[in-house]
Amino acid sequence: MTGTDTQSSFLGRISIRRNQVNAMDGSHEQEIEDLDLFQKQVSDRFAEILSAPDDTPFDAFLSISWIRKLLDVFLGCEAECKAILLMGRDAAQISKPPLDRLIPELLDRVVKALDICNAIANGLELVRHCQKLAEIAVLALEQKPFGEGQSKRAKKALVSLISAMHLDDKEGSAHKTTDRNWSFGRRGGNKDRPLFGHYKSLSWQVARNWSASKQIHAMTMNVVPPRGPEASGLPSLIFIMNLIMVFVMWVLIAAIPCQERNGLTTHLPIPKNVNWTHTLTGLLEKIGDEWKKKEKKGMAGLLFEMQKMEKLGQSLIDFTDSFQYPGEKDKVEEAAKQVAELAEVCQRMEEGLGPLQMLIREVFHRLVRSRTEILDVLDQGAKSSAPLV
Amino acid sequence: MELPENPNKDNNGYESAEKIILRWDSTASEDAREKMIFETDRHEADLYLQAVDEIQRSLSNASISAAAAYDQSKVNSTIQIAMARLEDEFRNILMTHSSALETDSLFDPSSSSFSSSSHHELEEDDTVSNEDSSHNGLLHFQFQHCESSDSSTYRSTSSIREVDLMPAEAISDLQAIATRMISSGYLRECIQMYGSVRKSAMDSSFSKLGIEKLSIGDIQRLEWEALESKIRRWIRAAKVCVGILFASEKKLCELIFECIGTDIDDACFMETVKGPAIQLFSFAEAISISRRSPEKLFKILDLHDALMDLLPDIEAVFDSKSSDSIRVQAAEILSRLAEAARGILSEFESAILREPSRVPVPGGTIHPLTRYVMNYISLISDYKQTLIELIMSKPSTGSRYSGDQSIPDMEFAELEGKTPLALHLIWIIVVLQFNLEGKSKHYRDASLAHLFIMNNVHYIVQKVKGSPELREMIGDDYLRKLTGKFRQAATSYQRATWVSVLYCLRDEGLHVSGSFSSGVSKSALRERFKTFNAMFEEVHRTQATWLIPDTQLREELRISISEKLIPAYRSFLGRFRSHIESGKHPENYIKYSVEDLETAVLDFFEGYPVSHQQLRKRSQ
Repeated sequence: MTGTDTQSSFLGRISIRRNQVNAMDGSHEQEIEDLDLFQKQVSDRFAEILSAPDDTPFDAFLSISWIRKLLDVFLGCEAECKAILLMGRDAAQISKPPLDRLIPELLDRVVKALDICNAIANGLELVRHCQKLAEIAVLALEQKPFGEGQSKRAKKALVSLISAMHLDDKEGSAHKTTDRNWSFGRRGGNKDRPLFGHYKSLSWQVARNWSASKQIHAMTMNVVPPRGPEASGLPSLIFIMNLIMVFVMWVLIAAIPCQERNGLTTHLPIPKNVNWTHTLTGLLEKIGDEWKKKEKKGMAGLLFEMQKMEKLGQSLIDFTDSFQYPGEKDKVEEAAKQVAELAEVCQRMEEGLGPLQMLIREVFHRLVRSRTEILDVLDQGAKSSAPLV
Repeated sequence: MELPENPNKDNNGYESAEKIILRWDSTASEDAREKMIFETDRHEADLYLQAVDEIQRSLSNASISAAAAYDQSKVNSTIQIAMARLEDEFRNILMTHSSALETDSLFDPSSSSFSSSSHHELEEDDTVSNEDSSHNGLLHFQFQHCESSDSSTYRSTSSIREVDLMPAEAISDLQAIATRMISSGYLRECIQMYGSVRKSAMDSSFSKLGIEKLSIGDIQRLEWEALESKIRRWIRAAKVCVGILFASEKKLCELIFECIGTDIDDACFMETVKGPAIQLFSFAEAISISRRSPEKLFKILDLHDALMDLLPDIEAVFDSKSSDSIRVQAAEILSRLAEAARGILSEFESAILREPSRVPVPGGTIHPLTRYVMNYISLISDYKQTLIELIMSKPSTGSRYSGDQSIPDMEFAELEGKTPLALHLIWIIVVLQFNLEGKSKHYRDASLAHLFIMNNVHYIVQKVKGSPELREMIGDDYLRKLTGKFRQAATSYQRATWVSVLYCLRDEGLHVSGSFSSGVSKSALRERFKTFNAMFEEVHRTQATWLIPDTQLREELRISISEKLIPAYRSFLGRFRSHIESGKHPENYIKYSVEDLETAVLDFFEGYPVSHQQLRKRSQ
């Protein structure tokens, strides 16, 4: 995994230094040094993934592979942050103000992030679904000889695909393309035929009123850079951690379809005049712009593979619409190229979605573990706990 | 167009087949749009399937000449029309039979209304079809009674009860259609469609079972009491989901698809069930993540046990590679629940140690903390079976050598051979006593402090004796120690209170030395009586308001007091009353008879205040 080497040496350096400093009972200078180092690490790591090499198009910005790298970076930063926070500290140190407010807020955000992880995992199922529809289209379009039969078949699959991508985020909304999969227009159906309610190809498995955009908004509340004497030390560390977590969750929501993303904010509380946040700010702007462009049209997320799939899908629908056997030579050739591209996108999805889902799950586990560890330390040290009875 | 083999015959067959297909092309005619073949007529359906077979045959027979290529394109076109039609028929049959299960009946274990007798039904149909003429034969001929090797293994597991989700005729229709679709290369469409329709049905069943979609945030915010009832409901629902819903879906997939090809039934099953399964487990996962606090222990253990019981069924139903993630998730949740249980126990122990209330319980009676803790560990002993396996490490106790005054220590040498759970329970009692000792110091009266300890440790002993499992784990050795402790406290109490009272009744100091006269100092004697009276009245007044809740203990202590007090007073009176009675106002000094004192002792530890008058009732 990326970064494990640097990570382990970083952790090693911290623990050595901490031991040296133990005699000095948590020197403030030590904290500042650790923090500076951490900030630099964060900045470097994010900068690495921002600069994607151009010759590997599928490691492109916001591709499945890029997102996996982003999550790796997140896991690395999270581990370091937790180490700095907890190593060699007891409950008293992490319970004094302003940490007595900051840490519970952090843990609350972690819970929100857990729900986002679950929603994203659910959203990846929609992506899988699109992949399968695309594969049907590819199968049909690759048939030789290619006739009108296969063309109709491909078109049917592609129309379903595009509809699935424009699935309204709102849970339970009836949308126009409900009966898109019927090869003949059956609206309402016969009275004596029991139709099965409204038919969706995918229903969100998340809580009814859950909203991704609201969740992110809630996470950003109170994320402010610490000021004054608190500006260095643990409050600063927690601020960085909050920021990274909110940022990564935001990217996931922008990229991958999940419930209720209308009105997703494109502003995150990233301070502008601090040098280590340049990379984050840059990423935020880039993704934010894309989001604003596409949001009006309604779309299934900025994931590179999905965007490509949509483009190719639309184009191939046009092709199949006008196809008559044996078809015009250059159009057929053009279509063949697009089919090959689409096949490649499917292949990347096939290879990458599984590992991505597992990585999301790992992020979930890691967040749970860190939260539990922090809670344990806090609970042990609680001096004036409420009476048991 | 020329065809290699007997052209006319094949042509005719092909052409009539093509006609049928085109007649039912929904894009072509209103009539075709409105009616469904498989609902219309058995005969029609048969004809249609035969037509499809014919077209498929001709596809494989066609030669590869240039002319044939055009043919092939036409044939492909026809096939696509047929497949589109079959897709719709397939979906229609599915939807007609895809309502949510009647879940009320599923909860009743004694209900015999559902049969896992789907095999019997099929066999009946098979025999019918053999006798019947060909127009039924085609459909049922295709429908083979497939014995799958692994289906028998999970039928014998605990809560698995497969239910017939669809009538056999529908199943055979679906199988007939699926066969044609798959052999024409339309497998993926088939799987997609099957999955969507069945998944919708599953979602409805879930709603009926009361399985909610709650986020982790929602669950953190709910009161624990509300969560307890949700947990109970979830446990019941989960058994139905895994044992009946999922198992039945799996069976249905097998019935429809297994004969057609391996893994297809798996793919359809996972399409249907993966999302709902994850949704089901997400509740248990959220509970396993929630903040730990002592009152949650028992419901978490219930959830743990329920999931543990379900695990074999989960593994049986989700036995393919593609369902790895579900099995893994279930195991992860189980392990988190176990961790949560351990953490809560640990947290409970710390909480007892830290319990800070300083207000002394009036009357030295049993502290609410003692009751709570002892009730809690009695309940723990009810969950002994589970906890013995979960609790694997010893409690983290202080050490005799650590010098840390804020934690008691517990020597393990004398506790050899005890399970970690038993050690934890003993530790809890140790910590409880430690805390109680601290609380006892808030009593200004040392006697009351001792009484307090006596009451509480006695209560502990009674609770341990009252529960066979608890007693067995704590062990008689430690029980003896505890008994000794409260007896010791009783003794300390007596010393603290009565030594000085009885000191008034001593012989020394009353005899004047020297002369050979009667030799008793009257003034000293009067002093003695006055002091004794005052002290006794004070003790009586105070200690009547003290409480020993346990009847037997109360009695025993009063008897013990009397045994020392009464003889001493009687002998004192006997020896010295004459001296007082020979002087002035003897009633000021000999206020109480022996009987008075005996009666007065009965007032002790009742927890009620007594008036001074009561003491003198008798003597009046």
